[in-house]
Amino acid sequence: MKMYLKTVFVLMLSAASGLAQGLQAEKLLQQPIDTWPTYNGDYSGRRFSSLIQINDKNITSLSLAWAYRLSAGAGGAAGSIKATPLMVNGVLYFTVPDHVWAVDARSGQEIWHYQWSTKGGIHLGNRGVGIYGNWLYFETPDCNLVSLNIQSGKERWHKQICDIDQFYYASVAPIIVKNHVLVGVSGDDLDIPGYLESRDPETGDLQWHWSSVPKPGEPGSETWPTAEAMEHGGGMTWVPSTYDPELNLVYVGTGNPQPVIAGKGRKGDNLYTESIVALNLDSGKLVWHFQPSPHDTHDWDAVQTPVLFDGVVNGAPRKLLAQASRNGYFFVLDRTNGKNIVTSEYVKTNWARGVDAKGQPIPNPAKEPQPDGALVSPNQGGGANWPPPSFSPATGLFYVNATRAYSVYYIYDDDDKPEGWGGNDQGGWAESMLQAIDYKTGKIRWSHKWESAGIRSGVLSTAGNLVFAGDTSNNLVALDATTGKALWHANLGQGLSNGAITYELDGKQYLVVGAGDTLYSFVMLKP
Amino acid sequence: MSTPRIVWLLSLWLGAGMAYAQLPDGPHKETALKLCGTCHAPTIVLGRGMTRDQWGEVVSDMISKGAKGSTEEFGLVVDYLATALPANGASQTTPRRKPSGGLSAGPQDRQVVDEASAALGKAIYFRECITCHGPKARGAGPNAPEGQRGSDLVRSLVVLHDRYGNQLGPFLKKGHPMQGGGSSAALNPAQVQDLANFLHQRFEDTLHRAPFEKPLDVLTGNAKAGEAYFNGAGKCSTCHSVTGDLAHIATKYDPPALQLRFLFPKSTRFGAGASHNRPVTVTVTQPDGHTFSGEVVRMDDFTVALRDSNGDYRSWARTADLGVHKTDPYRTHIELLDQYTDKDMHDIVAYLETLK
Repeated sequence: MKMYLKTVFVLMLSAASGLAQGLQAEKLLQQPIDTWPTYNGDYSGRRFSSLIQINDKNITSLSLAWAYRLSAGAGGAAGSIKATPLMVNGVLYFTVPDHVWAVDARSGQEIWHYQWSTKGGIHLGNRGVGIYGNWLYFETPDCNLVSLNIQSGKERWHKQICDIDQFYYASVAPIIVKNHVLVGVSGDDLDIPGYLESRDPETGDLQWHWSSVPKPGEPGSETWPTAEAMEHGGGMTWVPSTYDPELNLVYVGTGNPQPVIAGKGRKGDNLYTESIVALNLDSGKLVWHFQPSPHDTHDWDAVQTPVLFDGVVNGAPRKLLAQASRNGYFFVLDRTNGKNIVTSEYVKTNWARGVDAKGQPIPNPAKEPQPDGALVSPNQGGGANWPPPSFSPATGLFYVNATRAYSVYYIYDDDDKPEGWGGNDQGGWAESMLQAIDYKTGKIRWSHKWESAGIRSGVLSTAGNLVFAGDTSNNLVALDATTGKALWHANLGQGLSNGAITYELDGKQYLVVGAGDTLYSFVMLKP
Repeated sequence: MSTPRIVWLLSLWLGAGMAYAQLPDGPHKETALKLCGTCHAPTIVLGRGMTRDQWGEVVSDMISKGAKGSTEEFGLVVDYLATALPANGASQTTPRRKPSGGLSAGPQDRQVVDEASAALGKAIYFRECITCHGPKARGAGPNAPEGQRGSDLVRSLVVLHDRYGNQLGPFLKKGHPMQGGGSSAALNPAQVQDLANFLHQRFEDTLHRAPFEKPLDVLTGNAKAGEAYFNGAGKCSTCHSVTGDLAHIATKYDPPALQLRFLFPKSTRFGAGASHNRPVTVTVTQPDGHTFSGEVVRMDDFTVALRDSNGDYRSWARTADLGVHKTDPYRTHIELLDQYTDKDMHDIVAYLETLK
């Protein structure tokens, strides 16, 4: 009997420690409170927190809890924290290219640091990790998916997910849904097709592979002139996807077609590049698509987070999806079928002749890049880029750090079959602002213009009537979510390089944000 | 050279209203006249400045279109064109991008191209491969005769996975048709190396940010119309004078730089740097009525800082009763961005280019 009790006790202990260490799968289906378990906090991509300890009344009492400066010698742009940290059981997990850290969320104490030995690839940024139970997953610039033990930081396995010799690289944070690790790829130097893959969380083996470009004869192939153009047509998947558990659909934004700028050899809409696509989680099969930028020639990836929320349109409850796309347009779709509800400009642009019956902008051929230049707005950086936006169900507003910009787009390669980029944009002027968009109309409810143009950041909104964003002067700024009035700021010395996250730990609400090579943690001690 | 490019060059030549002109003198001019003059007026190239690499591309195109001559002669033509008609204001010897780690794309261990070997490989390519694989090694295309539709070698996985011939060599050893009728298996290791260097050079030059990624020609506008815009709708003459601040501006900047400088005077990748920029200024009015003016040092929602004409630095927390008035000297240029048509833009460049 005594032995039996002891066994039970040990079993209970190990079960308890298991709970304390791993990520419970159901956490991923809940609103994030005491955790930030996936890139966007939950599968919706809203980056909205229901926590209210930090709010518009007490924001000026926010305290710095700690700052953690990267310990590795990863300098330059690669050393900038573009990852959104995950917080699981009091530990933060985040990356820069080739590096992963586990840091104590209470103190900023480093628990472990893992470094990958690289064989090359673009080291521009890494968006973070995915976690499944006791295992962590991240991508490397040289095309590997690596799995680590979250306790020790020890490598379990790594699998090649793309071919670095074709100038692919990998940077996106894996999204884990059920027993699927969703991995995307990057790279547009040399005309290669994009894809999204589902990998087994235990082995890393391939479960399914969805190609951004169709094969000859498949639906969508009619939007390409030749099989070769299609096979080299681009459409990278470099920003994390979102997921609707009820519909069992994964929503993916795809990147620019290739060759990037010189589109002469790929006449047509170039599906499914520059698209928002809905894929069945279990099969990877395409269910519907919507294309923000048909036949893009400006590098305006439509990868920006497809944000999922339920709303009321014309008196009827709808399951919606919204994207503030890099091309300057804001779209609201019915996420059950991809039908367009709203199309509007969230910054003024000059490249489209209007909007077609499907709600897609119609590109003006005169504003495609030209040998002698075409003056185009927005510029290559776009109206928005990869930094994540936010949607608040409390205000019904979609928040995006936006840029209005002009540049001149040139064709450098006037061959009938251009390759590589074949052109680029040059020069430029820009202004930056935080836009709050009414999802029902697409109209700008308020616009908070920053005093200068510059870097962008992600956005977080909370039930405390707050929006957190970076400005163009290295400030982390808290604004009134309803009016756009700036309420509080902290100059972090470097520009905000990711989107802020928030969670409750030991009964206190924390706010964590990356600025360059440093992670800052703020806490409300007197709510 | 594609037909549209020829038409475009011709229209440029005729549109500029040039009388029949002579090619500039230079070494090997006679070779260029002999080889090029067989099919078209050699003067077609006038008004076009390019780098050696770009002229090499044009000559490669010509060979594929039937130009006759020896490899050595074509090399002399490229020499002549690169010397007599260099890229506008650009260095003739642009450095080739070297493979490296860090922010660079692709694998760290990719082949470092040996230029001399690549030149030898190019000769082999012209002799044995160009008919099927095309002048740029991008494949002959769907319109090529049956049996001559060679694949795109820039996108070839054999080439991309190759390091110094370690993939290409075994591939050629298996036997692959060649133009001369010989067997590719007979190519010696040095020739395989030369071909590998040439093909690696081809894709290195295709990559984004390759050295000759530059505007082809921005002088397509009408100078008269540009002058009219300058003095009329654009109101440029309100602030600028073609005999004053803009006198001889075309001798300071090449046409692409002129284009970007007038559109975006604060930011351009060409020409002189920030020393020509005029600063944004700010006037701060304190609640007590005192005002201070100077260059903006920092300005956000919360603070404003300036340096005044004495060099003194001052800063304020921004409050509701602090007056802050910012003046951007380039405001008019920014407002014009919403007004210019692309035709206006090209016409203005053409006009500014006359200000020699």
